[in-house]
Amino acid sequence: MDFTFTDEQRMFRDTVYRYCREEIAPLCEEADLKGEFSFEVWRRLGAMGLLGLPIPEEYGGGGADFVTCCLAGEAMGHAGIDGGHTLALGAHTYLCAANIMLHGTEAQKRRYLPRLATGEDIGCMCLTEPGCGSDAAALVTAAVKKGDRYVLNGSKTFITNAPLAKVFVVFATIDRARKHKGITAFIVERDFPGISTGNPMHKMGCRCSTTSEVFFEDCEVPEENLLGGEGKGWEIALGGVEWDRSVLLSPFLGNAMFMYENCCRYANQRWAFGQPIGEFQSIQNRIADMRIFIEAARLAIYRVAASKDNGVMLNPLLASVNKMYVGDRGFEMCSAGVDLFGGYGYIHEYPVERGMRDAKLGQLGGGTSDIMRMIVARYMLM
Amino acid sequence: MIDYELTEMEKELQKRLRALCREEIAPHAPILANGAGEEIRALLPVRLRKLAAAGYMETLVRGDFVAQCVAGEEVAKACPSTFLAAMSSGTAFGRTLAVFGTQSQRSRFLDGIVKGEVIGALAATEATGGSDLGGIVTEARPAPGGWVLEGAKDLVTNAPLADTFLVLAWTNRESGLDGGLSFFLVDRGAPGLEVGETVETMGLRGAPTAGITLRDCFVPSDALVGGEGGGMGVFSAVSCWLGLAMSAMSVGIGVACMEVSTRQGKQKRAFGKPIGHFEGVGAKLAVMFTHNDLGRMLTLRAAWALDRGAEDGAVLVSCAKVFTGESVNKIADLAMQTHGGHGYLRGTDIERLYRDARFAELAYGTTERQRVSIARDGLGRFR
Repeated sequence: MDFTFTDEQRMFRDTVYRYCREEIAPLCEEADLKGEFSFEVWRRLGAMGLLGLPIPEEYGGGGADFVTCCLAGEAMGHAGIDGGHTLALGAHTYLCAANIMLHGTEAQKRRYLPRLATGEDIGCMCLTEPGCGSDAAALVTAAVKKGDRYVLNGSKTFITNAPLAKVFVVFATIDRARKHKGITAFIVERDFPGISTGNPMHKMGCRCSTTSEVFFEDCEVPEENLLGGEGKGWEIALGGVEWDRSVLLSPFLGNAMFMYENCCRYANQRWAFGQPIGEFQSIQNRIADMRIFIEAARLAIYRVAASKDNGVMLNPLLASVNKMYVGDRGFEMCSAGVDLFGGYGYIHEYPVERGMRDAKLGQLGGGTSDIMRMIVARYMLM
Repeated sequence: MIDYELTEMEKELQKRLRALCREEIAPHAPILANGAGEEIRALLPVRLRKLAAAGYMETLVRGDFVAQCVAGEEVAKACPSTFLAAMSSGTAFGRTLAVFGTQSQRSRFLDGIVKGEVIGALAATEATGGSDLGGIVTEARPAPGGWVLEGAKDLVTNAPLADTFLVLAWTNRESGLDGGLSFFLVDRGAPGLEVGETVETMGLRGAPTAGITLRDCFVPSDALVGGEGGGMGVFSAVSCWLGLAMSAMSVGIGVACMEVSTRQGKQKRAFGKPIGHFEGVGAKLAVMFTHNDLGRMLTLRAAWALDRGAEDGAVLVSCAKVFTGESVNKIADLAMQTHGGHGYLRGTDIERLYRDARFAELAYGTTERQRVSIARDGLGRFR
């Protein structure tokens, strides 16, 4: 057993943290208030190399391992970058670009990765549909082969980055009778005929990421844009779970660290009844619980990342544990942070209000906590 | 580089203990839990010797903390009472001597402790002070050639069986906690030492507990452990070890609860299907798994930090203890629920584990006390 990061990883994390805290986080509060994606934030994330972190250097990325990618996510949240921008990064880098990196042909990688890695093009992934979310295998968006192209019909919803995206990784079925074995992935460009996106949705949290529906009406996709082969879509979607349960969760850990440190400071500075409120045991209890959460969440997240880097098969049971714990307990802890700030906690200008709204997504996105418990129970009862 | 895998040696230890516990420890757990004095007297020392033969007592006395936790979880899973008795002798008594004792103290006792032939006990808590040591009243007065102890201790695990005790007493009240407390070795049979009646506990009834009284009890100068006035330093270290041990125990009990509940979920049928297939039961199993899994990681993480003398070792132990202590109570509660009315019967595994689990939040630093330490760490760092 070893719980130390390499010097290189530690230095990288510190550099990202400092840069994000000084150059990016100050832009986030206003963006969140307006509910707007900030291209300036995006540009600066790109300038630091964070938008193409896992992409091999030959395609313009950073070639980083899983643990390093998690450290970057943690550092971004810790620095105070809002959950919206880190979510936009997650969808772009890990759900879109990384899938092309892992399953794309050489031509696809050359065509798409360099501009995704810099953030010049924005990417997204389209899996969820109006009629199916957690039960993704029930999707109905259809792909029919006609000559040298596929014709897609259907619609997707809750697609992070869709309103701004240039590159869409889309899951559709070539034969519903084959259930998950019919699911097939495609790379669709915004310019292809027949694809359109809906109006951005107004979300409770993670407000700086843009989210909308995506419509396919006889959308023509050239056959060279098939990703990973016919019927390989389900495997690709499941493979995404590895990113989902580690790198995409790491900003939630960072957010909790940001909340925790702010709560400690506030508890030292705010006085009541002749003493700092940090002397009251109910305040201490919240601070202690946040710390325990942070320690446990960190262990859970880096376990998935390390197993990936060390070539150990991902245990779906352990991955589900992460998602459930970081989602459910993370939200409770952020709520406790708001309680600790009292009335100020409810006000946008104070540092904890946004974090609580952002943390709610952890229980919902990428498989709800209810589904995680079902997965764990299913494995236990085998 | 981050790596969560146990070493081959740790895996081997885990395997060895698991096999031994299945054969030799688990079958006696229900009998020990009846708490009848004669049965405990006959059975418990034999269990300790068997664990000792597998190297468990040596691990508690001199092994690293990761190994202690890996092995301890197996013992606690099989029989929480046996775990507690072994911990009190091996860690609370034995390890304290190994780290703070003199050469002659070590050679006098440790061989017997490691072989399971000598049973030790730690006597610190009193009616008026446990978490707050300032409340204890037992005193040691200097006397020609040694000290005379006067006072009473309660809740001493192993007291009815112990051959020897580590007793905490004031040697100089004016010096306060940091220089006024000292530990003494007191052998059973020392004049003036009296072991009280075995007390009835809610759970962990196989680890017999009693109070002791010291009346004009003379001990020689070389009975002092950790130096005159060193009591608080020794106590802080030992508390940390025992907090960690409680975490390993909690995970072991939690896993035992989870295993009986999973079996119940597969075998017990209702409305035409195994009850585990109902989401309401399945979700409970999932919560048990999650809390055991995270608790084990927190425990091993803290152990790893202690093994390296890391600065955050103590606070990580507190985090692990709060998490696992609360988790095992939640798990035991969920496990009871998955058993329905049948779990409520006296003598079932789940009923016994439910009572045993309660100890984890109370002993060796209450959950409340641990949270204060954890919070102080953060409040001190982020001002």
